[in-house]
Amino acid sequence: MGRLKVKGKAGAAKNYTTRSSAVKKLQCSLADFRRLCILKGIFPREPRSRKKANKGSSAPTSFYYTKDIAYLAHEPVLKKLREHKAFAKKLSRAIGRGEWSSAKSLEENKPIYRLDHIIKERYPTFVDALRDIDDGLCMIFLFASLPSNARLPHELVENCARLAAEWQLYVMHSHSLRKVFLSIKGVYYQAEIMDQTVTWLVPYQFTQNVPADVDVRVMLTFLELYQTLLSFVFFKLYTDVGLVYPPPLDAKKDENGAGFNALSLQDSSRDSEPPQPNLTTIIEGRHITGKVVRQTIKNINAESVDSADVEMSNAEEVVEEAEEEFVLRPSTSDKTVNANLPTLQSLSTLPQTIMTNLFSPYTFFLSRETPRGVFEFLVRSFGGRIGWPSSSGSGSPFDETDPSITHVIIDRPVVEKQETPEQRELRLRRKYIQPQWIADCINAGKILLEEHYSQGKTLPPHLSPFGEYEGAYIPSGEDAEGERVEEEEEEAIEEEADVGTPAEERQAILNSVIAAATDDPTSLRAAELAAEAAGVDFGDFDAKMKKVAKKQKNITEKEIENAEQDMNKMMMSNKQRKLYEKMKYSNKKKDAERTELESRKKELKKQKRKQT
Amino acid sequence: MPAKDLAGRKSTKRKQIDAEEIQSAELQSNGVLEMLSDEEEDGDASSDDGHVDEFPEIVNESSSEDSDYDEDDEDEDEEDTEDTEDENANESGADSDDSLHVFPKAKTIISRITKQPKTVYPEIEPNYDSDSSTEDTPNRVGDVPMHWYDDLPHIGYDINGKQVLRPARGDELDKFLATVDDSSAWTSAFDKNTQSDKPLTAEELDIIRRLYTNENPDAGYDPYEPTTEWFTGKGKEEIMPLSGALQPKRRWVPSKWEKQKVMKIVRAIRQGRILPSKPKTTSTSKFDAYAIWSEPSSSVVPPLPAPKPALPTNAESYNPPEEYLPTEEERKAWEALDPEDRERNYLPQKYSTLRLVPAYDRFIKERFFRQLDLYLAPRVQRVKLNIDPNSLIPKLPSPSSLKPFPTYKSLQFSHSNGRARCISVSPDGEWVISGDEGGVVSLWEIMVGREVKRWQFEGKIGALAWCPRSDVSYFAVGLEDKIHLVTPPNVDPAVLSLTQTVLAPTTLPTAPATPSTVKWTTPASATWSIDTPLLTMDLPASSSVPSHFCWHRKGDYLASVSTGGAQSNVWIHQISRRHSQSPFKKIKGAVQSVLFHPLKPHFFVATQQYVRIYNLSEQQLVKTLIPGIKWISSMDVHPSGDHLIVGGYDRKLCWFDLELSEKPYKVLRYHSRAIRSLQFHPAYPLFASSSDDGSIQIFHSRVYNDLMTDPLIVPLKILRGHQITDGLGVLQVKWCSKHPWLVSSGADGSVAVWCS
Repeated sequence: MGRLKVKGKAGAAKNYTTRSSAVKKLQCSLADFRRLCILKGIFPREPRSRKKANKGSSAPTSFYYTKDIAYLAHEPVLKKLREHKAFAKKLSRAIGRGEWSSAKSLEENKPIYRLDHIIKERYPTFVDALRDIDDGLCMIFLFASLPSNARLPHELVENCARLAAEWQLYVMHSHSLRKVFLSIKGVYYQAEIMDQTVTWLVPYQFTQNVPADVDVRVMLTFLELYQTLLSFVFFKLYTDVGLVYPPPLDAKKDENGAGFNALSLQDSSRDSEPPQPNLTTIIEGRHITGKVVRQTIKNINAESVDSADVEMSNAEEVVEEAEEEFVLRPSTSDKTVNANLPTLQSLSTLPQTIMTNLFSPYTFFLSRETPRGVFEFLVRSFGGRIGWPSSSGSGSPFDETDPSITHVIIDRPVVEKQETPEQRELRLRRKYIQPQWIADCINAGKILLEEHYSQGKTLPPHLSPFGEYEGAYIPSGEDAEGERVEEEEEEAIEEEADVGTPAEERQAILNSVIAAATDDPTSLRAAELAAEAAGVDFGDFDAKMKKVAKKQKNITEKEIENAEQDMNKMMMSNKQRKLYEKMKYSNKKKDAERTELESRKKELKKQKRKQT
Repeated sequence: MPAKDLAGRKSTKRKQIDAEEIQSAELQSNGVLEMLSDEEEDGDASSDDGHVDEFPEIVNESSSEDSDYDEDDEDEDEEDTEDTEDENANESGADSDDSLHVFPKAKTIISRITKQPKTVYPEIEPNYDSDSSTEDTPNRVGDVPMHWYDDLPHIGYDINGKQVLRPARGDELDKFLATVDDSSAWTSAFDKNTQSDKPLTAEELDIIRRLYTNENPDAGYDPYEPTTEWFTGKGKEEIMPLSGALQPKRRWVPSKWEKQKVMKIVRAIRQGRILPSKPKTTSTSKFDAYAIWSEPSSSVVPPLPAPKPALPTNAESYNPPEEYLPTEEERKAWEALDPEDRERNYLPQKYSTLRLVPAYDRFIKERFFRQLDLYLAPRVQRVKLNIDPNSLIPKLPSPSSLKPFPTYKSLQFSHSNGRARCISVSPDGEWVISGDEGGVVSLWEIMVGREVKRWQFEGKIGALAWCPRSDVSYFAVGLEDKIHLVTPPNVDPAVLSLTQTVLAPTTLPTAPATPSTVKWTTPASATWSIDTPLLTMDLPASSSVPSHFCWHRKGDYLASVSTGGAQSNVWIHQISRRHSQSPFKKIKGAVQSVLFHPLKPHFFVATQQYVRIYNLSEQQLVKTLIPGIKWISSMDVHPSGDHLIVGGYDRKLCWFDLELSEKPYKVLRYHSRAIRSLQFHPAYPLFASSSDDGSIQIFHSRVYNDLMTDPLIVPLKILRGHQITDGLGVLQVKWCSKHPWLVSSGADGSVAVWCS
C-alpha cells in the first residue's frame, strides 16, 4: 500500500486546463487569449478521459495543456497586449477630456508587439519555417486580391500584394516551380525549395467578398503571423541567392498594373552600397519625374551585360542577368574555392535542368482574355519569354507584332474574319493554343503536341498532377484497358445482336446444358446427349466443357482458401479483428469508388459510340 | 483604434449634453412661471413656450462648468419671487381702495460723494401709520389656515373681536358671469383673508409682468448701471500692500529643488536615458525582416507542424474526365447532406475553357475553416497502418495437413417425436444411444445407423451416459426424478452376467451410516428383461430431469446434475455401494455442469458464471476459474487433465490452462448463437463445439508436454446440416472414442454421424 493519493493533484487533472481557467490564469480577455493561441500555435488537446481532466465533470469544454498555458504566461506579446489595454484606456480618457496633445503623444508611443521571437521559437530552423508556409502563402495571395475597406486597411492589402509578388519573383528566379493545377477553386502551384514541397492556392482573379459568418479578426491575426513569417523566410531566401531584400518597388510601374514586375531583383554582391539610395528614390517614385526613371534605367542598362534587348523591362533584364550569372559562376570563379559548390549545385539542379527550361526556346504572347498573372508566372518560371497586350497591364517586353512570338495563348472560340496577308502570315507562323496547354506541359515535363490544345478545340481532360491515393482510379490509363473493354463490349454486342440465328440458339442451349452438367458424371452424360440432340459439334462441346471445368476448379480452390481464412479470423484478438474490419471497410469503399468510376466511364464510351 | 473612437464618441456625447443644458438654461430664463424643478432635467420642457418673449440680455453666462450652480441660484430666485408675489397679493388686497405702493417711490439723485446718480428711498416713519398692514383690515385672525373657518358662518374677527361674516359668494355660474361682466375680473385675485376677489393694483400687475418676463421686480432697477471703479482705473492703483508682513524669500529666489529636478531630467536626456521624442517609425516596421536564422536556436523542441491539407485530386480539376461528374442523384444527395457530413466540399464541374471558370464562392470560408482547424481543433497523432489487412489474420497450419477430422455427414438417424436432446457413444465406439423428448431411447450402430433396440420411457429423456468400463456394459438414462441403469441387448453373456452382478448383486452392500434420500431399487431377477432397467435410482421428489451425467473414469461413480428443479441438485452415485450422496450442502448459484478430473480426485463444478474445482479426497476448494461468461452452458476437460474448455450461452468459448491462471488463456467467439455442447476427443487432438446456429465447429487442439509452448488451436471445419427448430440448433455432440468421428443430435430430432 503506497501513499494515499489526493484526487485532482496529479495526472490528467493537473496536466490539462480548461479554456476558461486558462483565460482566468492569464488575466486577459478571451479575444486576447485566442490571439495568443494563434500566434504561438497552441491548440486544444483531447484528454484520454475528459472526466478525469475536468474534475469529474463531463461538460463540453476544450482542454489545453497546463504547460502550454504556463508557457503563455511568460509571453512578451501578452505583456504588450496588457500594455495596449492600459494605453487604450489612457487614450480614451485623454480624448474624452479633450487633451489632444497628450492623446497625440500617447498615440505616438503606442505599444507595438513584434513577432520575431515567436517565429524563432516556432521554427528553430529555416527548413521548419519553409515546411509551414503553405497556409501563409494561401492567405497572402487571398488577401492580396481582396478589396480594402474599413476592416481591411489598404496598407495590409498592399503588404500582402508585395509579399505575394516577392514570392513569385523568387520562384521564377530560382526556377523552383514544379507543378500547377487549374482547379475549380483556383490555381494550385507546387514549388520545391530546399527539398521541401510548398503548395499554395491562388484564387482566380475575381472580387471576393468576405462572408458575414467569417470572423475577420481571426483571419487578420493569422495574417499578421504569416506576414511576419513570410518576410523572414523571403529575407533568407533572397539573401541566400545573393539578392537584395526587400526588392525595390517601382511605384510607377505598380500604378500601371505591372504586377510583380514592379519589383526588381538586385544582386547584393554587385552593388552592396547602391541599393540603399536606389531603394529610397524608387520607393518615393511618385515624386520622381520620368526623366530620372529613364536615366536610372539607362544606368542599369549600361551596367548589364546583355544590352541587346532594349525593349525588355528593367525587371526582366535583371532577372535574366541573375540567371546568367547563376549559371556562369562556376566556370568563372576559382575552382579551388568553390570545389564543393558546383557539385552540390549540379546535384541539386540535375533533375531540374531538364524541366526548368521547358519553355526557353519559345516566346509566348498572351491574348487579352487570359489571366496574365497566372501565365506570366508559369511561362517565366520555366524560362519562356512572354508578352501581353497593354490592356492586361504595362511592362510587356514586346507587342503582338513581334516576329519572335512562337505561341499565342488564346482562350476564345475561332472567329472567321477578314485578314490581310501579313496577318495571315503571322497567324500561320504562330501556334494558337489554349491556356491548359501550358499547365499540362509543365505537369508532363515536356512539350506536348499543340494539336489537341489548339484554339477552339475540345480540350483533353486536365488531371491533377498531385496524384491520387494508391489504387485509385486512374483516368489516363485507359488506352490499354480501353481496348480490352472494347473487345468485350463488341462480343457482348454481337451476342446481343444476333440472338435470333439458329447458331446462336445452339450456343445458348450449349451454355445452359454445360451450366447444368458440371457436377457429376451422370448429368455430364445427359448433357452430352442434349448437346448432340441440339446438333452441337462434339469438339466444340468438349472444349467448352473443359473451360467451364477449369473455371469451376479455380473458383472452388479460391472458395476453400477463403473459407480457411474466414476460419482463421476467429483466432484473431478483438483488437486485431476491429482493425481488420476497419481496413476492410475502407478498402471496400475505395474499391467501390473505383469500380463506380470505371463503370461510368464504360457507359459514357458506349453512349458516345452509339451517337457516332 | 476602438478606444479612441469610443473616447471620441463620449466627448461628442458630452458636448451634446452641454448644449442641452445651455438650451434649458435659456428656457429657464425665458419662462420662469413654467419652471418646475423636475422638468429642468428633462430638457424638453421647451416645446410649449414659444410665445414667451425673448430677453436675450438676461441669459446669464452658462458655461458647462457652473451650469448646475446657476440652476440652483435660479431655483432660489424663483422661490423668492413667489414669496414676494404672495405678500404683494395680500397687501394689495389689504389696501386696495387707497392705491398704496408696495414699495415707496424711489428717487434717483446725484450722490454728493461720488457724483453718481443713485436711487434713494424715502425714510420710513416708525409710527402706526407707517405700517400699512395694520390699516383697516377687517379680518384680524392673522396668518392662520383659512380652512379652519370653512364650516363656520364667519371668516374671522375684526379688531373689536366681532365676527367678520363670510361674504356672500355666488355659485359657479355667478362667478362666471362676474368674470364676463367685470372687465377687471382677470386682473383681480382671490384674497383668502376676506374670502373675496380683489382687483390688483397697477404696480402689482407690473410686478407680475416683470416676474413673468424674468425681470427684476423692482421697476427702478437698472441692470446696466455703469461700473464704479473704486480700486482700479487711472490713479486708483493700490500702492500700499494690504498687509504689512514681509515677503517670503521664495517670491524672488529661484527654487533649488525645482532646479535639481529639471537638471535630473536634462542629464537623463543628455545621456540618452530619456528620449524626448522617439524617432518616427514607419508603418511597415512591424514586419521588418532580418537574418533571424543566423544565430543558433534554443534547444527547446519545436511543436509539431500542423498537418497539411490534402492535395487536390482529379475531381477538383476545372476540366475533369467526364466520369468524375456527379449524376443528378449524386448531386441531390450531396446537396441534401449537411456541409459537415459531405465527403468533398465541392461538386466536380466541367468547363470547356478556362475563360468560363467562375470565382469559387466558398474560397474565403474554406481558408477560414482551415484556420479554425489550426487553432481550435485538438490534434492527435495517429500511426497510419499501411499493411495488407490479410496479414492480420494469424497464420495457422492448413486444415488439410491436420487430418483426420470429421468432414462430412455419413449417416443420419432421426427421432420422430421431439428434439433429440442427448446421445452417448459406447466405450468401444460401436453403438450409439440417443434419447428424445418423447421418452424414446434408441440404440443403433454407428457404422450403418440401423436401430437395434428401442426403449420407451415415460417423460422426456434428459441425459444418457454409457458406463466407461469395458468389462461391463450398461448405460444410465436420466428421466423425471429417476435414473435408470439399462443393459443393451446382444451383449456377450460373460459381460452380461458381470453387469448383472455389478448392478444387482445377490448380497447387497451394507447400508451407509448416513442414509440417503435417493432410493436404489432392483426388480426381482425373474422379471429381468432387456426392456426394463436393471437398477433404478429414485431421486428426491421435485428434483426434475437430470440434464447432465458424468461418469468417473473407473465407472463406479456417476455424477448427475438436474437443473430444472427448485434447486439444482448434484448427486454422486456410487454403484458398488448402491449409495448416493450430495457432495455439497449448499452451493452458490445454479450448477450447470459437473466433471470428474481424468487423473486426479478433482471435481469440476460449473455454476452460472464460475467454475470451481474441488478436491474430493481432501474435501476442499482448489481453485475458482473466472471465464467471464454470463451463463455457462457446458464444459469439458482435456484427457491430459490440464486444460479445460468452457462454453457459454453468450457465444463465448474459453480455453483454460489449469496450471496457468484463473482467467482464460484464450477466448473465442465464432458461433453466431449460444454454444450448447463441447467435447474433447478422448484420443485425437480434436474438440468440437455445437451451437444454436445449427453448426458444429471442429478444432484441432494440440497440447504440448513442454510447459513453455502454448497449446495450438486451429479451426478445422464447420459442419452444417442440422435444421434450426424453435431457435434451437445442435444440442449435443459426442466423439466416437476409437475414430475421429462425431455424433451430433439436433433439435430437429435428427442424430447425425460425421466421418472423416
